Amino acid sequence: MQVTAQPATAAQPAVETGVKIRLDGVVKRREYDGVPLTVLDGVEFFARDGEFVSIVGPSGCGKSTLLNIIAGLDEPDSGAIHLDGISAERRLGQVGYMQQKDLLFPWRNVVDNALIGLELRGVPRHRSRERALELMDSFGLSGFESAYPHALSGGMRQRVSFLRTVLADQQIFLLDEPLSALDALNRAQMQEWMQHTWLSLRKTVVLVTHDVDEAVFLSDRVYVMSARPGRMKLVLDVDLPRPRPLDVLTDPAFVAMKARLLSAIRGANGREAR
Amino acid sequence: MSAERAVPQAVVETAPRRGLVSRRGAGRWLAPMAIVVLVLGAWELCVRLFDIKAWLLPAPSAIATALVQDAGLLLRHSWVTLEEVIVGFAVALICGVSLGVGIALSRTVERSLYPFVIASQTIPIIVIAPLLLIWFGYGLTPKIIVVALIAFFPLAVNTVDGLKSVDPDTVNLLRTLGASRLQILLKAQLPTALPYLFSGARVAVAVSVIGAVIGEWVGSSEGLGYLMIRSKPQFLTERVFAAITLLSAMGVGLFLLVGLVERLAIPWSRARQHQSENQAR
Repeated sequence: MQVTAQPATAAQPAVETGVKIRLDGVVKRREYDGVPLTVLDGVEFFARDGEFVSIVGPSGCGKSTLLNIIAGLDEPDSGAIHLDGISAERRLGQVGYMQQKDLLFPWRNVVDNALIGLELRGVPRHRSRERALELMDSFGLSGFESAYPHALSGGMRQRVSFLRTVLADQQIFLLDEPLSALDALNRAQMQEWMQHTWLSLRKTVVLVTHDVDEAVFLSDRVYVMSARPGRMKLVLDVDLPRPRPLDVLTDPAFVAMKARLLSAIRGANGREAR
Repeated sequence: MSAERAVPQAVVETAPRRGLVSRRGAGRWLAPMAIVVLVLGAWELCVRLFDIKAWLLPAPSAIATALVQDAGLLLRHSWVTLEEVIVGFAVALICGVSLGVGIALSRTVERSLYPFVIASQTIPIIVIAPLLLIWFGYGLTPKIIVVALIAFFPLAVNTVDGLKSVDPDTVNLLRTLGASRLQILLKAQLPTALPYLFSGARVAVAVSVIGAVIGEWVGSSEGLGYLMIRSKPQFLTERVFAAITLLSAMGVGLFLLVGLVERLAIPWSRARQHQSENQAR
């Protein structure tokens, strides 16, 4: 087991084969109360097909802006975005995006919330229902098929939201701090369950999180973003074998990686910079 | 997963609370009923005690007698007014919601039409009603137009507010799922707007009754408003009061009907209120 870390710029692979997402020199500027501000300043990023990649960084470093750009909700001021090696002008609908809030419709029950992606694509209702019901059990939702969101706990609502993302069947999932609203116990369970689910789905996942443990536990690679202007400060490959048990958190290799990431984040904050 | 097992229990726990709410609902009806009885009693007493002439102020008992004796006449005219209210409200609903959707969807429509929608409310309906009489005659049409004009505004404004109140994150979610503009409107915006639309509809039915009476006063040959105008010079004051009673009943009845339809159409809105009430405790 070895820890490999490089400066972010050197990490971009030269060959495009198997690279699902690739960002080159992505710059985004915004105006806050008339003051121009560079939110993203030359972000370099990539994720291979079927990889689980995390982005950690101090709050306000532009992580959500970055996800919005990858999803196609926002466009960069300069830089390029490639999906499957092709410059992606129209990304909306190709990239699944699970946001921090569960955003369930209160007027739809669990199944109808979960199958909205298929419904929008015009899949016949009996077929989309069938597919949703097949996955209910593995998402811990069986027995709650016709329950409405107001009757569900936070963890269950988040799983419905995740099921909705999975059922839409896009090749890339962006997850914006999906577990941040859960308590520690629920979080650990959800992390273990997410690893299990990802191993069976093998989709390309980009996870934004504040939680370094979560990032290392789940990821093949972790990016550390610097505070505004946001850019990638460190890339760390996590080559711990899978499936990882929860007690990997005390593994010396895990602890060493976590320490590296934490010191990079502290540096990124600028507060404890040496 | 043990944390989630608690959920169905939590649902069950709310059941006895619902019983509490309905008991409180009975109490809610008791207070206004008591006030009505008190006021009517005092009224009856005053009329008898001071020997007030029936053409000036009829006693509640006289009004009740008029309601029973003239039931056939009153019902026939009530039916005409109710028809004007319902058709006018339906026209207002169709036009108001369509315009609301147009305004919420397009900036151009909003900029070009919204000022006129608001300006239209500054023209007193009593000024327009005689013109409608000249243009459309004494039939149902001018009354329906008056009702529609008066009910249209709360429906349109609430539709616009409701459609715009959709969570932008929800819209973004649907966009990343590949939704079209129309799909966003149908799947997210319209359901979000429904509680707003029903608030507007409650206001609209109440003013619709007023609109129908105004229309009838300006010129008509039937309806409760016409009956009032005709009864007044004959000093059939108890019949005027009987007509007022029926108009109030019509307004309250339609108001309650909208509430009932709302409860059936958007059960999630009440479920949410329940939830927030429980959290507040």
